[in-house]
Amino acid sequence: QFMPSDPPPPRRPLQFAEANENEEEKQFRRVFQQLAGDDMEVSPNELMNILNKVVCKHGKLKTDGFSSESCRSMVAVMDSDSTGKLGFHEFKYLWNNIKRWQGIYVNYDADHSGAINAKELPGAFKAAGFPLNDQLYNMIIRRYSDENGDMDFDNFIGCLVRLDAMCRAFKTLDKDNSGTIDLDIKEWLQLTMYS
Amino acid sequence: VGGISASIYANRLRAEGMGSKDQAVHFAGQDYEALKQECLESGCLFEDPYFPAEPPSLGFKELAPYSSKTKDVEWMRPTELTQDPQFIVGGATRTDICQGALGDCWLLAAIASLTLNEKLLHRVVPHGQSFQDDYAGIFHFQFWQFGEWVDVVIDDRLPVKDGELMFVHSAEGNEFWSALLEKAYAKLNGSYEALSGGSTTEGFEDFTGGVSEMYELRRAPRDLYRIIGKALERGSLLGCSIDITSAFDMEAVTFKKLVKGHAYSVTGLKEVNFHGNNERLIRIRNPWGQVEWTGAWSDNSPEWDQIDPSEREDLHLQMEDGEFWMSFSDFIRQFSRLEICNLTPDALSDDSLSHWNTIKFYGTWRRGSTAGGCRNHPNTFWINPQYKITLLEEDDDPEDDEVACSFLVALMQKDRRRYRRQGQDMHTIGFALYEIPEEYRGCQNVHLKKNFFLSHSSCARSETFINLREVSTRLRLPPGEYLIVPSTFEPSKEADFVLRVFTEKQSETEELDDEVSADLGEDEEITEDDIDDSFKAMFAQLAGEDMEISIRELRTILNRVVTRHKDLKTDGFSMESCRTMVNLMDKDGSARLGLVEFQILWNKIRKWLVIFRQFDLDKSGAMSSYEMRLAVEAAGFKLNNRLNQILVARYAENEMIDFDNFICCLVKLEAMFRSFRDFDKAGSGEAEMNLTEWLYLTMCG
Repeated sequence: QFMPSDPPPPRRPLQFAEANENEEEKQFRRVFQQLAGDDMEVSPNELMNILNKVVCKHGKLKTDGFSSESCRSMVAVMDSDSTGKLGFHEFKYLWNNIKRWQGIYVNYDADHSGAINAKELPGAFKAAGFPLNDQLYNMIIRRYSDENGDMDFDNFIGCLVRLDAMCRAFKTLDKDNSGTIDLDIKEWLQLTMYS
Repeated sequence: VGGISASIYANRLRAEGMGSKDQAVHFAGQDYEALKQECLESGCLFEDPYFPAEPPSLGFKELAPYSSKTKDVEWMRPTELTQDPQFIVGGATRTDICQGALGDCWLLAAIASLTLNEKLLHRVVPHGQSFQDDYAGIFHFQFWQFGEWVDVVIDDRLPVKDGELMFVHSAEGNEFWSALLEKAYAKLNGSYEALSGGSTTEGFEDFTGGVSEMYELRRAPRDLYRIIGKALERGSLLGCSIDITSAFDMEAVTFKKLVKGHAYSVTGLKEVNFHGNNERLIRIRNPWGQVEWTGAWSDNSPEWDQIDPSEREDLHLQMEDGEFWMSFSDFIRQFSRLEICNLTPDALSDDSLSHWNTIKFYGTWRRGSTAGGCRNHPNTFWINPQYKITLLEEDDDPEDDEVACSFLVALMQKDRRRYRRQGQDMHTIGFALYEIPEEYRGCQNVHLKKNFFLSHSSCARSETFINLREVSTRLRLPPGEYLIVPSTFEPSKEADFVLRVFTEKQSETEELDDEVSADLGEDEEITEDDIDDSFKAMFAQLAGEDMEISIRELRTILNRVVTRHKDLKTDGFSMESCRTMVNLMDKDGSARLGLVEFQILWNKIRKWLVIFRQFDLDKSGAMSSYEMRLAVEAAGFKLNNRLNQILVARYAENEMIDFDNFICCLVKLEAMFRSFRDFDKAGSGEAEMNLTEWLYLTMCG
């Protein structure tokens, strides 16, 4: 039996993956499908809507809401195929991190001001797995906190998403663990412009 | 989850040879040797977590869990099925491949062809595997996938129903290489059922890394005999078949004993002297090993008596072995199609065979930046990736007076996860070739723009635009420089692709893309005296006593200024954009801008505003993302395809770029070019940095 050159069949690892998920993953996938819509990818605007809904539910978090620009930036640092959207696994990773960091934010807001002040920040970042040096903390506070040194929730999340992505990028490119990376101009621009 | 760094890392590995035939990529990161060693040390047989012995590995529809076909299926190791299982007995042969309950005959036909070429077979089925020495229930196979060799590990638990293997099995019953190979290919594709239905050429390519061509013999090119001859010389795999008009016809045998809808192999070509004329003959093989052609030049036909006995001895093998000769003209008449899988140097290591020169490109089409659609879309066609080929030497063909170079262009779309849902996965793809105009000859860093394509027509094209995994076309053009533009039929269709160009003779190929560079100009020298009073007053009002503005104040001031320009579409500058801008100008790390710094920034914005207006062709207040490449270039930045894709993915919304995003993008580009220049003081083209430096630069915005 031999069928000459019909178009190849659609391949279906997605269905395969679905069939192999545990209950929790299945539930998350259902949520994802609702959020992502038909194209099964989360756009920056979809991300913004989700995050702002979450923030609304937790009245104690100080924030002026996630901006479309900060969501674009979060999507960019997570997106590996430059489509400008997040697929299921990328989104799941982001989501789990945000949940974890939200917990840290609440715990380290010692004075219950709803924001993380400059004193609380190093502890919170350490708890999130990013022990930085003072130079970097100062830089981050200057860039992400307001005039009083308070970092609100959307800036906190935006900053950590970026920090996490940049640390992972560095680790990926420092293949031999030498502590330094070498980049040419094309690589440098790809990494920095898409963030 | 790796972001852009993951693709950069993959490119670096590829440049070091990862994915080549000597350095296959580990599928799902599984290392055969390491896993096997682990199993041997622990004394356990391997159980593959990535392709478990469970119903979902079988299929999703006809072979779905709980369907009648998969009821009572057990997974058993060959050691449980038979007393003396063997991996290969007496070499791999076509009788080792008997089809099971799966419509993957196309795959089996390809495997059968493969068994005729031991060298190729053993690339796919690596030596040294057995059920006797160091048996650990683990096996591995290698396939070619979208330009790379992939090593796939499996355990040897095979689906069994009523005590029999469900799928491929050998006639002998105790030989398992073919069943295990099928399992590995099923794993690569997600499930056994995913293999159902397909074309032999797809199998050919995945086993050899070669490139397939298909000829309809009714419309055979005039030099087909020469093409087949060259293909055989190069060790290509050739298959031919007779189309069926209905399922009823399947395997129907014609009057002269040819089987319809069946895959034959072409194994030889010969010209003999017959009645004083040159008679062209072709040798065909039926993989069944029996049922042969009974017409002219068949095993016992009288034509053989008319030719020189010495020649006859050479050619005439009177055996019922499935192999037979027929005249070339009969071949063209009787068969409907010929498929040639040309082997690339990637598949062949035998230098004595003259092979094609191959060049490979990995590319992408992205909505709004590089997914331009075909020539029917003149506004966007030019944004597609462009590749240059230089044909240097003409073919040596004594029969042909024409000065021409033969080459083959093959465009393959990669399976992207988003298209895998049923019915959506394949785009309609094709390509066009253009002669490169005089003024661009010898250039590397040019991406031809819209006007070129409006005023020039293509000199060659793919035969069709088609929704297959691959479209390939053999072309002949005079020596010279040509541009290949691969595209989807409709614009804005996203996919990744591999473009391969095969030439008979020497040639050069490169991606025709703009060089990455920036014209940053001189740093502007401004003092407070140069700044006019109303500007100073506005600044003072916002900055307060310290005469410095913070990120937040910058946002206020910029948005106030921009609202005065009613023609600009903008949703206002965000904190993130302003963070980037402060970063570009901020020399002392204070994250504040002084009056002079602000004036310099403002001058830049004014300069870019002029460019923005110039490219906002329809005066809508926003710029089409297609024009982004040109606008960025006008601002002094030359970028390549990849970077243009990234800018659009990052800054465009619905394929439009508004004013604040445009400014933000240029500010950042300038900042990043400058910081690279600071790191690469020696001008080596490489910047080295440690983690702190890296974070300091990338966390700023």
